[in-house]
Amino acid sequence: METRRIAILGSGRLGRGIAENAASKGYEVILFSQGAGSQDAPHKIEQSLSRKLAKWSLTESEKRVILSRISYTSDLKELANVDLLIEATIDHFYTKQELLRTADRLCQPNVVFILTSATLCVSAIARGISRSDLLVGVHFIPPVPNVPLVELSHSEDTSEEAIKVAEHFVAKLGKSIVYLQESAGLINPRALVTLINEGAYMVDEGVADIPSVEKVLKESWTMDQGPFEMADRMGLDTILHWMEQLQDAFGDRYAPAPLIRRFVRTGRLGVKSNVGFFAYTQDGLIDRTWQEQED
Amino acid sequence: MKVFVLNCGSSSLKYKLYDMTDESVLADGKVERIGQEDAVVTHQSIGKDEVNKTMPILEHTVAIQECLKLLVDKEYGVIKSADEIGAVGHRVVHGGESFSDSVVINSETKRILESIIDLAPLHNPANLAGIRAAEKLMPGTPQVAVFDTAFHSTMPKHAYLYATPYVIYQRHKVRRYGFHGTSHKYIVDRVASLMNKNISDIKIISCHLGNGASLAAIAGGSSVDTSMGFTPLEGLMMGTRSGDIDPGALSYIMEKEDLTMADLNSMLNKHSGLYGIAGASDMRDIEKGVAEGGAMHKIAFDIYEYRIRKYIGAYMAAMNGVDAIAFTAGIGENTPSLRTRICQNLSFLGITIDETANQQKGQEIEISTSDSRVRVFIVPTDEEVMIARDTAALVK
Repeated sequence: METRRIAILGSGRLGRGIAENAASKGYEVILFSQGAGSQDAPHKIEQSLSRKLAKWSLTESEKRVILSRISYTSDLKELANVDLLIEATIDHFYTKQELLRTADRLCQPNVVFILTSATLCVSAIARGISRSDLLVGVHFIPPVPNVPLVELSHSEDTSEEAIKVAEHFVAKLGKSIVYLQESAGLINPRALVTLINEGAYMVDEGVADIPSVEKVLKESWTMDQGPFEMADRMGLDTILHWMEQLQDAFGDRYAPAPLIRRFVRTGRLGVKSNVGFFAYTQDGLIDRTWQEQED
Repeated sequence: MKVFVLNCGSSSLKYKLYDMTDESVLADGKVERIGQEDAVVTHQSIGKDEVNKTMPILEHTVAIQECLKLLVDKEYGVIKSADEIGAVGHRVVHGGESFSDSVVINSETKRILESIIDLAPLHNPANLAGIRAAEKLMPGTPQVAVFDTAFHSTMPKHAYLYATPYVIYQRHKVRRYGFHGTSHKYIVDRVASLMNKNISDIKIISCHLGNGASLAAIAGGSSVDTSMGFTPLEGLMMGTRSGDIDPGALSYIMEKEDLTMADLNSMLNKHSGLYGIAGASDMRDIEKGVAEGGAMHKIAFDIYEYRIRKYIGAYMAAMNGVDAIAFTAGIGENTPSLRTRICQNLSFLGITIDETANQQKGQEIEISTSDSRVRVFIVPTDEEVMIARDTAALVK
């Protein structure tokens, strides 16, 4: 079966990124969202494409075509007409499993499910659905349209055909695949979390302030974004959640730094709350004029 | 023999069906917006009504299938069965160094085309998609690839090599390839015929000025230089492409505008040229803007004309002379003001043009006066008939 129409469950940064990437490669995308903030998804995708237009990487007509390929709904009944399903919700085991059980009932029986989880294993999620052989783990890394690779893992039950469908989809998005054994945190999230956590410990210990730690890590490794900006863009609540799951899996070396717990507790979640390690403008750019208030 | 000529782009295709006994066109058409639910099919068989259909066409196989259906349609078609088609000729943009002439397509041809996709990532994949679709729909019918680059394979090394470290050429085949070869070849054939001269005795500068634009210096029927290079970005100013630019400026722009290589590539290919200067990529809009006193339209027109003239000068030097200059393609055939300006500014060559003749649009005509020392022609290009000719010749 040729994959044309894809469903993406979840309109957070990851879901929107996959939607934009897939639509720009010609897929018809249905973006499902039910949570708070889901009504922002069209605006945020439009905003992301406008930024590309301003950088000349798109033309006006290309932008219009991409936007025309994405539709938005909260009605899961539309899952009956999709060729591929991508689950891109928060990494919460029961939420994901419940959602995939529902999708399992509504999708055509041969539709492959892609699990984008950073910290949950395919085998564990597969146990809750009837199509365990059609579940493939593909970890997309934000910003999805720009990152040229994914991490792919699967369970022992996953069929060759399902893996081929996932591989074809990823290839059409213009990305290469790194194959991994199932493991919580894969490569990218696990290493990223460690870097962010270590940076936060340095700040907590007074080794240097946030901009200094960010500058050294970013510029010495010629990164486009430093670890703190990456964390802000991922959402500090997501990062904290990952750390806790990795702590469960691997022990205290993933124990979250107090600074990150403090930020999340006080609502400093990163770009989504306009302030995290750094402050952000409404357009999602770092606000260089912002001064942190002393406690 | 009937030859079906296909020119597949990423989201559109054009086709013509030829009867090669007299090279007559039996039908032609196009499919636009491939990949969309509202693709548009336009078809016309000779002597019959035009057909326009809007329908979902998601990929090339379905698009070609629709064309074939229309060709055999009782009311709008022109053949009884697709079996009447003796061969399919495909326009393929880039043949790299592997193809210096048209070829019958086999698995090895496709393997080589796959291996050089990087040389023309925007065009060759669509050309290959067309080849695969036609093979699937017409199994057993010979398929021929006709390359835009092939005509320029006669360029001497000093014209096609860039002065980069030689290993870059050896490792990656980075060199001037040139494009629009099928068109330039048609032009030189026609000009020789119009001049009633043997092709081997004349030096021609062929100006293919469409949305993409290139000049070719053709001596004795062989391309000796052309303005497009490794990609169709080099050379003249175009509709949305910058043409020549100092490579040193590129890293500066990237740094100042915080651009990635992909951003820069898109900027130079899609946001530059006439569009980049004047906000309009169509020469008709530029002419209109000039007439209405638009300052940026005038600048865009001036750059466009100047760059063509500069290349004409360079190619006269390259060939040590020129006997004829020919204008072709959308802008070349239909913009008298551009031809006038170019020729007026080449008066030192003894070029004089007949303004009445020059006002013709899209017609094959000589526009120079009888005392002009260099003859100047408008020659509407016909790449499809060249593809059909090569195809018929190869499968005979």
